[in-house]
Amino acid sequence: MQKFLIAFRNLNRQKKRSFLLGGAIAFGILAITMINGLVGGFVENLGENYSRLLAGQIFIQGLELTASGRRVQAIRDDRALVAAIDGAGLPLRGVLKSSGFLGTLMFHGVSADQQIVGLDWAQSGPLTERLSLKEGSFAAMRNPRGIVVSEKTASKLNARAGDGILVRLKTLTGQENVGEFEIVAISYDPALSESFAAYANLSYVNALLDLGAGEYQTLGILLGGTEGIDTAAQKLFDGLRGKVPVFDREASSRAKNPVRAMLQQHQQNPMASMYQSLLKRGGDSAWSGTRYRLYTLNDLTSQVNLPQTVDALKGLASLVLLIVLVIVMVGVANTFRVIIYERTGEIGTMRALGMKRSAVRDLILLEALFLSVGGALAGLAASAVLMGLLRLVDFGVGAAFSILLKDGRLTFLLSAPEALLSIALVAALTLLAVFFPARRAARLNPADALRVAR
Amino acid sequence: MIGTRRGAVAALALSLATSIAWADPDFPAMLKRVDDITNFTSDFAAVYSMVSERPGEEPKEFEAQVFRRDRDDKLVILILAPDSQKGQGYLEVDKNLWFYDPQSRLFSHASLKDNFQSTDAMNSDFYRTTLARDYEVKSWREGNLGSNQVYILDVKGRNNEVAFPNRRLWLHKELGMILKAEDYSLSMRLMRTAYYPNYVKIGDRYIASRALLVDELNKGDKTQLTLKEPSTAALPDSTFTKAYLERVSR
Repeated sequence: MQKFLIAFRNLNRQKKRSFLLGGAIAFGILAITMINGLVGGFVENLGENYSRLLAGQIFIQGLELTASGRRVQAIRDDRALVAAIDGAGLPLRGVLKSSGFLGTLMFHGVSADQQIVGLDWAQSGPLTERLSLKEGSFAAMRNPRGIVVSEKTASKLNARAGDGILVRLKTLTGQENVGEFEIVAISYDPALSESFAAYANLSYVNALLDLGAGEYQTLGILLGGTEGIDTAAQKLFDGLRGKVPVFDREASSRAKNPVRAMLQQHQQNPMASMYQSLLKRGGDSAWSGTRYRLYTLNDLTSQVNLPQTVDALKGLASLVLLIVLVIVMVGVANTFRVIIYERTGEIGTMRALGMKRSAVRDLILLEALFLSVGGALAGLAASAVLMGLLRLVDFGVGAAFSILLKDGRLTFLLSAPEALLSIALVAALTLLAVFFPARRAARLNPADALRVAR
Repeated sequence: MIGTRRGAVAALALSLATSIAWADPDFPAMLKRVDDITNFTSDFAAVYSMVSERPGEEPKEFEAQVFRRDRDDKLVILILAPDSQKGQGYLEVDKNLWFYDPQSRLFSHASLKDNFQSTDAMNSDFYRTTLARDYEVKSWREGNLGSNQVYILDVKGRNNEVAFPNRRLWLHKELGMILKAEDYSLSMRLMRTAYYPNYVKIGDRYIASRALLVDELNKGDKTQLTLKEPSTAALPDSTFTKAYLERVSR
């Protein structure tokens, strides 16, 4: 206890130096915490935004082979799928049915290619929470032919809410079809993927695709959070495999993933790829009935370099951490060398009075520990304040990087283990940096120390 | 008694004559005739010149060499112009249409139902016709198209895999070829009107030497096709291969 008090007193004796040294450590922790928190927030928002915009985190699609050999994407009877989902005991937030097609929107001689997704709007709460509207309202989707188009698409078409537009598409079996929509709302683009999708009513999209009542193309499963998607998907896959014919998940791994090829053709739009890639599955094999494919949000986003972006940010955070730690270690080591030089006489006196070598070493290490932990806690407190302030900044839902934001604002996600790890790492490295000067101090001959000091 | 018999015979003859006069023409045979007179039993080759017009844009000109072997359902389209697309080609074999891009030297899947390049023509416009197999007549009437007497047939796809589920055809009453066609979507919206004002006779077959394809959704969009250098000379089997497209595009 006495050692603690002496160490604390020693730090207190040189307030300015202790403050500067602790401040350096605090700044390092601040930088690391901010970057980690920001990356964590980006990852969380990205997953959340994508899962809502894509209407799911785990997706099941059905593929039929017609008598003529044409592949048709449809789920006509989902009882087995629903049973498998129930049986998997997943933490469900929602199950959304959707159908979609890549069509050409036309308005007064101008056209724009667009992925159009049909949803049951009574169940589309998760989407409407994340899709911000610039014009119009979701309530107007009561209009069976209503459509929500993105700002960029509306601008390209020179259309506004209330305008009627035509869409040219191909039905499930490749027949030409034309639909008529009314733009009821214009959404901000979530960016990263231009003109992500236009949203319409499932019943009308089904009619245009020549799907029957109650049929659809994709079953999207929203889990409680973005964590554990792959585990949940595997559990569901195992449950499905016993009930219905399912495409092997391994076959859709990155090396052979048709999503990759499709994304290249669809300007890296994961929404477009969702509805196009399945048709390439199955190779030359033939089957009867419907075969199902299960894939996840991670499978989709892995193809648009988002994890790579996140990895790059995390790598940057680690690099900053490394640089900060090296600077702090060098600074701390040098400062303690000076401190020990200044206290040579004091150390000699303590040793002459019977203080053990190990006690001298521990005293100096304790000072370093107080300094590092104090600095780290101050850094965490400062980063909490800064994060709070940055959360107040509204970048707008139309910001270029809005897919990384929540309602146009930054969010920070820092796990307690990560914060503790940072503190522990800084403390450990500070102790390592101080260990050698402390050992040298402990090895001082009391007589020599007193002579030098005099 | 004899008078009564004569009356009955006369009534029967009149009834028969009336029923023959008012009977529907044999539509399956009529559609088959269209196929028969436009599809070749021999190989067929020709060059198509195309001019595609869109409002507010410079007309785009294309030229394509077409090879057909209708008896085997084979087709090759090789783009000769413009320079930016020169060497690109299509190959229909084994019910698969392949598109070849000489830049990447890769083949990719395409569909006969897709538009040819950025024109109003579809890839299937260069292919043999299969009207009798794919469509059935739902209603008909007689009429005139210019100075030609025509049958106007409303046809519907027999399956859900034909590009246009509904069509209206103007067939030359005497010669049987299509003079005009309106293509409707599944939702019965008019999408395209095709005019075939001129035919050229090659052997006992007729092929449209000029066609005007009008996009009815994008007003003002149209493409004109002109046939040149038609030939029914035998083509080497190697023409209908991927290797051929790769070789000629070098």
